[in-house]
Amino acid sequence: MLERGIDPADQLDAAEARRVVRRAFRQLGPYRRDVIIGVVLVVFWTLATIAGPFLLSVGIDDGISQGDGRVLAFAVAGYILVAAASYGLYRAQIVVVARSGEGFLRDLRNQVFRHLSGLSLSFFDRTKAGVLVSRMTSDVDSLSELVQFGLLQLTMNVLLLVLSVVWLGLVSWQLLLICLVPVPFVVAASVKFQRDSNRAYNEVRDQIGDTLSHLNESIAGVREIQAFGREDLETERFAERSDGLQRAHMRSVFVQAWYLPVIEFAGLGTTALVVGFGGWLTVQGVVTIGTVAFFVLTLNNLFEPIQQLSQLFNTVQSAGAGLKKLFALLDTTTDVPERPGAVDLPAQGEIEVRDVSFGYADGAPVLRDVALTIGVGERLALVGPTGAGKSTLAKLIARFYDPTDGTVSFGGVDLRDATTASLRRRMVVVPQEGFLFSGSIRDNVRVGRADATDAEVDEALRTVGAYERFASLPEGLASEVRERGARLSAGERQLVSLARAALADPAVLVLDEATSSLDPGTEVLVEEAVGRLMAGRTVIVIAHRLSTAARADRVGVVDAGQLLELGPHDDLVAAGGAYARLYAAWVGGSASAVDDAEGPEVDAGPQ
Amino acid sequence: MDEEGDSSRPSDLTVPPSRDGWRLILSTLRQQWRGIAVGVVVGLVWTAAKVAVPWLVQQAIDLGITPGDLEALRTWTIAIVIAAAVAATFTGLRRYWAFRESRRLETVLRDRLFAHVQRLHFAFHDRVQTGDLMSRANTDLQQVQNVVVLIPLTISNAVTVLAVAVLLVSIDPVLTVLALGSLPFLNLLGKRFSNRLHPTMIGLQRESAALATVVEESVSGIRAVKGFGAEELQRRRLATEADDIYDVAMQASRIRASFLPAMELLPNIGLIFVLGYGGWQVIAGQLSLGSLIAFNVYVALLIWPLRMLGMIIAQGQRAAASAQRVHEVLDTAPEITAPAHPQHLPARPEPASVATGVGRIELDAVRFGYGRPHPVLDGLDLVIEPGESVALVGATGSGKSTVARLLCRFYDVEAGAVRLDGVDVRDLDPVELRRAISIVFEETFLFSDTLAANIAFGRPDATDAEIHRAAELAGAASFIADLDDGYASLVGERGHSLSGGQRQRIAIARAILADPRVLILDDATSAVDPTKEHEIRDALGQVMAHRTTLVIAHRPATIALADRVVLLHDGRVAAQGTHHELLASSAAYRQVLATAHHDPTADAGDTAAASGGGDDPASTDGVLGVGGVAS
Repeated sequence: MLERGIDPADQLDAAEARRVVRRAFRQLGPYRRDVIIGVVLVVFWTLATIAGPFLLSVGIDDGISQGDGRVLAFAVAGYILVAAASYGLYRAQIVVVARSGEGFLRDLRNQVFRHLSGLSLSFFDRTKAGVLVSRMTSDVDSLSELVQFGLLQLTMNVLLLVLSVVWLGLVSWQLLLICLVPVPFVVAASVKFQRDSNRAYNEVRDQIGDTLSHLNESIAGVREIQAFGREDLETERFAERSDGLQRAHMRSVFVQAWYLPVIEFAGLGTTALVVGFGGWLTVQGVVTIGTVAFFVLTLNNLFEPIQQLSQLFNTVQSAGAGLKKLFALLDTTTDVPERPGAVDLPAQGEIEVRDVSFGYADGAPVLRDVALTIGVGERLALVGPTGAGKSTLAKLIARFYDPTDGTVSFGGVDLRDATTASLRRRMVVVPQEGFLFSGSIRDNVRVGRADATDAEVDEALRTVGAYERFASLPEGLASEVRERGARLSAGERQLVSLARAALADPAVLVLDEATSSLDPGTEVLVEEAVGRLMAGRTVIVIAHRLSTAARADRVGVVDAGQLLELGPHDDLVAAGGAYARLYAAWVGGSASAVDDAEGPEVDAGPQ
Repeated sequence: MDEEGDSSRPSDLTVPPSRDGWRLILSTLRQQWRGIAVGVVVGLVWTAAKVAVPWLVQQAIDLGITPGDLEALRTWTIAIVIAAAVAATFTGLRRYWAFRESRRLETVLRDRLFAHVQRLHFAFHDRVQTGDLMSRANTDLQQVQNVVVLIPLTISNAVTVLAVAVLLVSIDPVLTVLALGSLPFLNLLGKRFSNRLHPTMIGLQRESAALATVVEESVSGIRAVKGFGAEELQRRRLATEADDIYDVAMQASRIRASFLPAMELLPNIGLIFVLGYGGWQVIAGQLSLGSLIAFNVYVALLIWPLRMLGMIIAQGQRAAASAQRVHEVLDTAPEITAPAHPQHLPARPEPASVATGVGRIELDAVRFGYGRPHPVLDGLDLVIEPGESVALVGATGSGKSTVARLLCRFYDVEAGAVRLDGVDVRDLDPVELRRAISIVFEETFLFSDTLAANIAFGRPDATDAEIHRAAELAGAASFIADLDDGYASLVGERGHSLSGGQRQRIAIARAILADPRVLILDDATSAVDPTKEHEIRDALGQVMAHRTTLVIAHRPATIALADRVVLLHDGRVAAQGTHHELLASSAAYRQVLATAHHDPTADAGDTAAASGGGDDPASTDGVLGVGGVAS
């Protein structure tokens, strides 16, 4: 009976509602024609729906009561026509409304996602993943409910209500006045119902979420529960929650249990009024018996729409709230836009970071006056404590952000003047953790270059030395990596990620070294793969281990947003600065940690 | 859709016959028969009042209006008002009672399911995915509730249809046939409509979930998407899913288009007959005008009950199938249960902090293989003395974790015996056994609760001081102190996210707090950062000093903590001694340690075994079966 609730915070005020509706209408674009056709169909269908009882009353009054078989025959023929028309109109209307509504939703989904995926990384940094996912799911779904059922019912019920009132008024204004007596009560009850049921619904929704997540956790953690002998305790705790849910359900039913009688009594009580008062008028000769019959039959068209509308209110509200949020997302602009007239980057080139400063929108600067040049084919390692800005520097080089001051250029082209597509072709950033998408291993490697052939994918896997490993799986490279690659180890996921980079074959490779250790076996494989990938490319590696830094052509030490030292490993060690101290600590420390193949973390800073 | 079925290993949860489903619904309802009876009675009163109204209208017209008898008109009008009041009151009551009983049934069944699942053996949970059990406890019970709520309504609806039919026949049998003749088709269409629409609605849900997956992956994997410039690829994937949703939604609307208008048309046919034939009868003087109008009202009255009857039949079939799925779980008997007359462990002398002389473990010719033809353990003999600490070492699939699980009696041995302090674990109440033995799994599971509650998991009555002490010993105290809310920080699904190593330290604290006579660490420090492991190592040394400890590990430093190292191979003890002795004497031992560092599958293989195989217990052979043993 109650489809969905809405948070009070999400309710739109009148001005907002107008803006949202206007924009939604613009958004309809290509579907506007279908929508108009749909509305016309609904109008005629509604007319046909009330024409039936009307023809009935004509048949009774002018045919049966007068003993006129011809009029009766006409009325019957008319009724047949109306019924047939109603059938056809209903059918057409369902298809037309669905076609335009579903098409609109499909376009909206694509549009929102296209926009979302084009937003800069900083947007994703500051927005919770769950919120973004709910834009594309629950917010669009609330619209979809409106499109699938709501809009049709809304139009129909409003029409039915208005037409019924007009029609009844034309037939007998006296009787119509009688029928309108209970309307204020019904409206008041409906408003209260809408409010109460909304509150009750939200409570049920919270309780359901609570119960289900408890349930899920108790099943997923059943081994711990049994291991610590907590079966009885957990069962008791669950029963409490489940009891709470049951009570919430009953409160929501209670709201319906008082509202329904009001509506029912309004409908039936009005029947009594019409019969009693209308009968008296008939006896007085003011109205005919047929009119009374017509009223009795049409009363439903008066009270049902009011009831339906009060329930639709929530659907409309949440659709409006959903649309508003979607529009807000569409209005968010990317921080790293492509300039009109942007040029493609050259195939190769030096990277120049010139006097770059950077700070996030709110808060202290992260980088200050950083300047460095990375030659073609050079390997630069960035080291420094967590939060010092080494990752930020790498991200500026890949233009995940734009510098607040200064410029980053590749081959002499300011990155802000470059096309996004060419930038992504030249530079690939391999994230710390190999993230796998659902699909096969091959699909996952293809993330590096969507149009690659199977042979090219295989070749990329060979480059990183992982071909044999994955090809020997029972289903080979077509093996599904289920549930975010839970079936692959962290090292194996990293290998897939590196294969993507090999497939993309960029001029510049930015590597974010994993902080935590991989499983001992794959660690070696990953290192070998990285080595092979580096060949012939400019490489910037965010190093967490000094062993990695030691192997680079040059090391840049970043601390507190500044590039403290820059030079080859040996020079820096010899210079006896910050890097030399770090290195000394590591060499000393690794002696105590007997079996730790990896060096200590350089990230000593606070989180 | 059942995914628990594994081709190599048929699940014991199979598809209907749904007879047991009906039986489950009915037997649960039997305990609520009073409520159901009230619901039916309330429904019947409502029906009576509702049916009375048109009849009363007819009387008012025929006896009041037509003859111009205002006195009679007033009487009948008052009667209508009374009937209206009764109908209104009882429509509310009817709804309330129907939901009361159906929600209660849903709750009762869900509580039963929960309690039962909590007691089902590990082997069951190895086989059946969490998601599958969730859908039984949620969607399936919802489906059952949806139908049970309609039972009182259906009974009163059926009576309505019958009553109206009888009433109409008594007025004019021929007209009755003409008026109602088309309505059984309504019932039929309702049923067919529901059956046709249902699969597409399921399909729509599936497609929506697929789309949500693309969005979810793109957002959580945004670094990969941006890093590789894969935006366009993801957009294409999303467009495909959006197209799929469109197609299924259009399919659903085509089904609606072919049924709904027809269901609307059928009653109109009845009304047309009433007008045509009935009108002619009135003109011919065979029928009263009031009867004609009453016929019209009755036909309208029957539209909903008949439509619903059809849909209920269709829904009832699905609900029975759902109940069947619930029944299958409830019908699975727990394999690990307390014996009828459980024995008790010998008492543990106080204070427990010094060597206590309890905690002797004995594995006697143990054979076990997760029900598969090739046993993992085959004739394993091993004795661990009270207070001794033993490291179990072995290649992937050698059964290290299995030993741990047999000790806790998560599984029963297939042959031989496992004894704790001389008592066969099968002769103990599992609760007593598991109080005596605490295990730390490699894959730690924390509950959505505070850190303190998670640590006190095994001993909910522990004091704060005890909790802090346990955290201290597990090397967790320092990072907990750094959290804003300290021990009150929420963790788990909806709380603070901890690193793997931090989670493991919480789990170790949990086990220490339980103060067991035997502590099992199943690869419990694998995720702890190597630079921080030594902190725990020191603490573990203290904890292990006074109790029997079984450590499963592959890092030499951890292994070295144990008094004795036992090398497992081919399901038996292949060699034992101290770490250094074995290094010197056993080539197999050196080989295993070396592989642990170079065989990439070794770790993962143990993980799969240790975690009880999240989704596929058959894969003790390692990640995606690479280089496995069992394969």
